[in-house]
Formats: sequence, structure tokens, C-alpha cells
Amino acid sequence: MSDSFEPNIVAFLCNWCSYAGADLAGTSRVHYPANIQVIRVMCSGRVNPLYVMNALQQGADGVLVSGCHPGDCHYMEGNFFARRRLGMLKDLMEYVGVDPRRFHMSWVSASEGHKWKEVVEKTVEDAREAGPFEGFRRRRIDW
Amino acid sequence: MDLEQLRKTAAEVVSREDVKYLIGWKKGTYGYRVAPVFVEDAAGAAELFFSPLCTANLTTYLTMAEKLPLPRGQEADKRKVALMVKGCDSRAVVQLLVEKGIHRDQVVVIGCPCPGMVDPALLAEKYKETEKPVDLKWDGDQFLLICDGEELAIPRDEVLAEKCRLCRYPNPVISDILLGDPVEKWEVAEDSGVAELDTLDINERWSYWQEQFSKCIRCYSCRNVCPLCYCQDCILDRLNPTWVNRAVNFSENTAFNISRAFHLAGRCIECGECERVCPANIPLGKLNRKMAQEVREKYGFEPGIDPDAEPFQASFKPDDPEDFIL
Repeated sequence: MSDSFEPNIVAFLCNWCSYAGADLAGTSRVHYPANIQVIRVMCSGRVNPLYVMNALQQGADGVLVSGCHPGDCHYMEGNFFARRRLGMLKDLMEYVGVDPRRFHMSWVSASEGHKWKEVVEKTVEDAREAGPFEGFRRRRIDW
Repeated sequence: MDLEQLRKTAAEVVSREDVKYLIGWKKGTYGYRVAPVFVEDAAGAAELFFSPLCTANLTTYLTMAEKLPLPRGQEADKRKVALMVKGCDSRAVVQLLVEKGIHRDQVVVIGCPCPGMVDPALLAEKYKETEKPVDLKWDGDQFLLICDGEELAIPRDEVLAEKCRLCRYPNPVISDILLGDPVEKWEVAEDSGVAELDTLDINERWSYWQEQFSKCIRCYSCRNVCPLCYCQDCILDRLNPTWVNRAVNFSENTAFNISRAFHLAGRCIECGECERVCPANIPLGKLNRKMAQEVREKYGFEPGIDPDAEPFQASFKPDDPEDFIL
């Protein structure tokens, strides 16, 4: 099972740095795992903890949130808020028993195509080790 | 505390021109029951009382008052609300001030230094509740249960509520009028519930919480009783988009409980009301206290102490921990 298991990762990328960084990785022909589904948000501070939980409920095995480096935020301080909130969320989820390998956060700037590749590889690797996350799936109701 | 003094002060406060009503505790219908009471005139103050059974946090009624749209030409009633608070309740008042949920000039805070409350459920379990009226008093290191003229001494540790065992602020942190003398702080017990869960491995924690959250019937009592859950438009009630479905199953229950715990991170003042009212006996206190502990230890922040503080989740420090970032 673990050999064939390909995790689904949902990535929330900020429009100004990480999304451009991922774009750069693409235009530079950098190879990285295709398990990642990118959702563009305007700022990492926009990422509501409910987004993370909903992603996990709806079929993601791991979630990645990526934004500008501290101090580089397009909106001056959005990523500082994200850091505080999502750090708390990570602690909370760990306390409730969600594997900490399922949730990652990173800073990737627009020029860091290679860092983006490393971040994705690490996230996918971790989610693969943690295995499919069935416990938290939203139940389908077939009437 | 001297009840005569309490009633006299309360009567003076409600007679004031600028006070609408006073929220306090009164004896309930029978046994260990205690009910909240809204006193509107000096005569009503005779009902008020304060005993180790007054576990309820009355701060929640501050934001519960309905604000109906006013007919044209009518002025809003801008009189103050007087409120009796214990140490923990006063922190809720401070946190409401921080969040601008209430204004300082809208409330008269009557502080009651609290030597520790009993857990009504624990008390009823050990000393059977009868229909007779009961009096419970503090007496040094024990509680005195007076029923039918008979006195029974109960050791303090036996029935003390868990939140009081862990209480660090027995005296009100904010008050306009302080009734009686401040009590001496007692030694804070170790939070064994949280520490025990922390030692478990992650899968064991998951199965522990899975078992607990499966009991949840989604009655939202915890939300309704919480003094800090006062959003007019709660995300749990939203249907479009539906962030948390209403279905009672493990996935949605977990999402509900996590989102509530997260919403209270950096805001929870540990009054333990959610756990007290939970009909399914989910140890919500363990969840909220853990988050409060994280906020205290990692971010050096404690909610409900300083009315001029910035709200925790709406502020940041440049040197917040970021060891979890890749």
C-alpha cells in the first residue's frame, strides 16, 4: 500500500511570493512531485484555519501554507499574523492527534524556485510517510 | 463574604440613576441549584447571595442582551449594567473590554473575591441532592453543608471544581466595587489532565479525542454559555459556505470542536463553563487549557489581565516562534 500510495496535498500560496516562486520553478523546468494542488490566495494571512481543516475533511492527506518571508509581505504584516495563527493551529491539531507531518508552513519568495521544489518534496514525503488520512474524511451521504 | 454587605451594596448600586439592572446569583428552586437573577430595584437585592455553589459565570449575559432596532425618535437605553464577578469572571470582562465587545462605561463591576467554588456535579455525586433547601459555606479548609439545621463538613479538595484547583486569579482583576477582603492565593495544582494527554503518543491522543468527540451531540451549549462566544454571525450557523456541516458524525464533530478551541486560543479565560454545561461530558477544559498553556508559554501572553492589551490573534510580535516553518 505504502508503495503505491500517492498523497493529495493542498497548498495555499500567497499571490506575491510563493505563487510566483512556484511559477518560477515551472518556467525553470524544475521537477517536483505532482501531488500538490495549488490554491492561490492573496496573502498567507488570508488563510483561515477552517481552510486547512476543510481541505483535510475533503480528501487532502496534507496541507501546505506558503507565504513571503517575514518582513517581505506585500501587505506589510500579513504573514506575521499567519505565522502566529497557523502555529497555534499546528499545536492544536497535534494535541488532538493529527499527525504534525500533515501540516506544513514555509516561506518561499518569488525568486526561490529551488526552495519551492525542496518544500514540496519534503511535504509530499512527510504526507506519504503519514499515510492516507481517513479518520477525518467528511462522510459522503448516499441517500 | 458578608451577605448583608453584599445585599446592601447591591441595593445601593441598582438604586443609582445610571444603572439599568444588576446581574447576580440567587438560590435556585431546590437542593444545590443556583440561578442567575436580574435585579432591577432595591427590593430585589434581598434575593442575592454568594456561596461556593455560584460556579456559573454571569459575564455571558452581558453580550446576550438583545439589541432590537429602535422605533424612530426613540433613544437607546444607555444605562449601565451591574455585574457580580468572581476572579475568573472578571477576566472574561477584561477580555470583552480588550475585544471591544463592551465598553468600560457600560458596566459596573462588583468584584467578589472567591475562595474556590465547588463542582456541583461532583457534590451531587458524593452528597446526594435532596429537595430541601441547602446552604453551603466556606469554613477555612473545608466547606460547611447546612441542611435542616444539620452541619456537615466536607474537605475542600473533595468537591473543589477543577478550574478552581488550577485558578491563578481568585481575586477580581478588575472591579469598581470590591466586596469583602481579597482572598489569599492558594497553590496552583498541576494540570494533570493536560499533562497526561501530552505524554501519550499521537495515535493514542487521536483515539482519545475520537472517543470524546464522538459523544458530542452538537447542542452548542458550550458556545452559548461561553462568555467570549458572542459573534452575531457565528461561522457554525452559516449555510453558504457551510464550513462545518451540521451532521453529527466524527468528522464534523472534530471540525466543530477544533474550530471552537482555535477560536478561543488566546481568548479563553479558563472559567470552565463549557465543560460544566456539556451534556456529553466532553473534557473541553483540557482542550482550552492546553491552548491557554501554549499561548502562555510560547507567546508569553495571558488573556483577560490587561484591558489595554492587543487581542492575541489580531496582533503579532516579530520574534514569534517559527521553528515549525520549513
